[in-house]
Amino acid sequence: MSLRFQRLLLILLTLVIILSAVLLILYNARENVSYFYTPSEIDNLDIAIDEKIRIGGFVENDSFNKISSSSFKFKITDEKASILVTFNGILPDLFREGQGAVIEGTFVDNDIFNATNVFAKHDENYMPASIKEELKDTGYWNKKYK
Amino acid sequence: MSSLVGFLSLVIAIGINFYLFLSRYIFRFQKQKFNLFIRFSSLLTLLSFFSLMYAYVVSDFSNYNVFQNSHSNKPLIYKISGTWGNHEGSMLLWLSILSIFSFFFSFTKNIDESFQRLTLIIQSLLHILFGLFIVFTSNPFLVNSILVNEGLGLNPILQDPGLAVHPPILYGGYVGYSIVFSIAIAGLFQNTDDEWLYVAKKWSLISWTFLTGGIALGSYWAYYELGWGGWWFWDPVENISLMPWIAGLALVHSLMMVRGEQAIKKWIVFLSILCFSLSVFGTFLVRSGILTSVHSFAADASRGIFILLIFFIVTGFGFLVFLLKEPKKSNALNLLFINKVSALVINNILMIIATLTILLGTIYPIIIEVLYNKRISVGGPYFNLTVIPIMIPGFLLMSIAPILSWQTNKINNSKKYVLAFIVLSVLVLIQSYFLDFNTWGFVGLLLGFWIILASTIAIFSSYKIKINIKFLKIINPHVAHIGVGIAIIGITCSSVFQNELDFNLNEGDKFIVNGKTVLFEKIETTNEINFQSLRGKFLFDIEKNQSKEIEAGKNYYPVSKMITSEAGILHQWNKDIYFILGDQKNNEWFVKVLINPFVSFIWLGVIIMMYSGLIAVSRR
Repeated sequence: MSLRFQRLLLILLTLVIILSAVLLILYNARENVSYFYTPSEIDNLDIAIDEKIRIGGFVENDSFNKISSSSFKFKITDEKASILVTFNGILPDLFREGQGAVIEGTFVDNDIFNATNVFAKHDENYMPASIKEELKDTGYWNKKYK
Repeated sequence: MSSLVGFLSLVIAIGINFYLFLSRYIFRFQKQKFNLFIRFSSLLTLLSFFSLMYAYVVSDFSNYNVFQNSHSNKPLIYKISGTWGNHEGSMLLWLSILSIFSFFFSFTKNIDESFQRLTLIIQSLLHILFGLFIVFTSNPFLVNSILVNEGLGLNPILQDPGLAVHPPILYGGYVGYSIVFSIAIAGLFQNTDDEWLYVAKKWSLISWTFLTGGIALGSYWAYYELGWGGWWFWDPVENISLMPWIAGLALVHSLMMVRGEQAIKKWIVFLSILCFSLSVFGTFLVRSGILTSVHSFAADASRGIFILLIFFIVTGFGFLVFLLKEPKKSNALNLLFINKVSALVINNILMIIATLTILLGTIYPIIIEVLYNKRISVGGPYFNLTVIPIMIPGFLLMSIAPILSWQTNKINNSKKYVLAFIVLSVLVLIQSYFLDFNTWGFVGLLLGFWIILASTIAIFSSYKIKINIKFLKIINPHVAHIGVGIAIIGITCSSVFQNELDFNLNEGDKFIVNGKTVLFEKIETTNEINFQSLRGKFLFDIEKNQSKEIEAGKNYYPVSKMITSEAGILHQWNKDIYFILGDQKNNEWFVKVLINPFVSFIWLGVIIMMYSGLIAVSRR
């Protein structure tokens, strides 16, 4: 093999690698992307029964229901609409009523969403309730605090 | 008081750097003095950092940052590490590490003085940019406007030994690339000889070793703290650290193949700029809060814009110099189909494509949101299915690349390797036939074992075995690759062959895990210094006399009213048995047990890679 031919081979190989990478990206980006909605957006959309999506909102107050030690029912709401969610497994530590959560999963029928993953938001800015009150009273309340 | 000292020394340090920058063109300093000024500003920056730490240690709540992120009854270690457990403190840590790198670089001997000075001037510019960023948008020395005698406490998730070591080491990697960046730019400007390449090699190896350690520590922390049983989630924050790591790996490899070819020199400069740009870009993405992540740091738009500005200045300046200035002296690239240079070129191409793939997956949600106003998330499977196939040819290549020749097409002992590969494939195939066959498992195990085997054959057939530093340096590439092979086996086994078991148990129940009987002894609650702990106590393998105790449970932090999970892990050399205590109803507890085979191999592989990094830095 001449030097020039070998170099050509190398360049061709590179092109093949790049092309296959592009094809991989395009293919996987279609398959493994899940859309993110709020509960009220879902009302106006037509979502297939087993399409994997994410829903973000708050856990509705007084909606949390422990069926057994590992299966739970609760509602995710954005104050305009709410969705009934079932989940099997271990809920994240920060999960509680009135707090933000993102759930990932599929609709099992038109009304019930089966979550495979539940994420609760971690944040370094939290505020103990007593000090929150104190700050509100003294007028040093900053909107950044939750 | 300490806040005042801290703030003043921070500002004076920035002032000195500004003065140095101007002085290069207005006054003429002796070299000695110039280096002294650089060192003085580094020490002042460190003083500033330590005064903040002091404020944390003595719980000085007149400092707003301390008030927001600390509490007086925290254990001392979390008071110290709490210094960088928040945005402002972590940016000061970033700047301090930048100073430390400048400080040590100013001691480099045997290099051209004007080159060294230029490098330090560029470091000064970076110091000014990030210093101003801290002063104007993230000042950790603000005075608390209300009088309080108690702070708000540190986020319980961060109250972990991981916080003490993970951020400083990770930043050592990120910020280390600043000096590589400065060296490359200075090298372009001065353009005298190839000296800068050797300096760049040393510092890029140091940064890469730090980055490797930082990422591994972070992922080990996530492994036991998040309680999900995994150690890598393709989370944006993780992806961001992985990108400069892969680019840095490409850089380290390119620096090995410099033999005076211009094309490669250009490529090295490009990679040096890219590594630091990716580090700054990562900081921007994390700190701006544009991306949502499980690690989710506090977000503030003004900070994001400021960092974005720094990113554009750094990257724009870097690439502009790169385009305008060309490295001198050139040899044509000697590309044969099968030689070391070609192998390294292909390896670099693969790594850059992998980096781009990760970048695309990470910022794709932002692009979609801007273009279509739709929010999406790109899941782990995307990264697994794109990044891994791209890397596979690279893994195959690395098994034999170190023994390829620089000039010719010949491979020594090629028959031996072919034979070894065939035997190994058959063995792995038989092994995977008896376990459940899994394509990924088969490919991963074959690759891992093949890399280890080929590197071992290379060590024993190509060199005479001696025990001294020189020999360790010669076989170093093979050793590093053996580390990768071991890590691949660990990664494959722990992800593909992970086993999950769910139980509903009452206290006193016995259950079977992995053929061994486990007793769920009791639930115990205790009061610790700043939290209450709830632990499920398990006795593993009760039929033996030496049964192992495992505790899994939760901590409740009254200051912040937060709960954290504490997984119970039984480490064995060939598997981790990972207990998670779930919820309870009517005294029946949900317990999840994960069997993660060969996780320890991942950490072993990483340690070998870091060892190789250190050996490569050390002088002959």
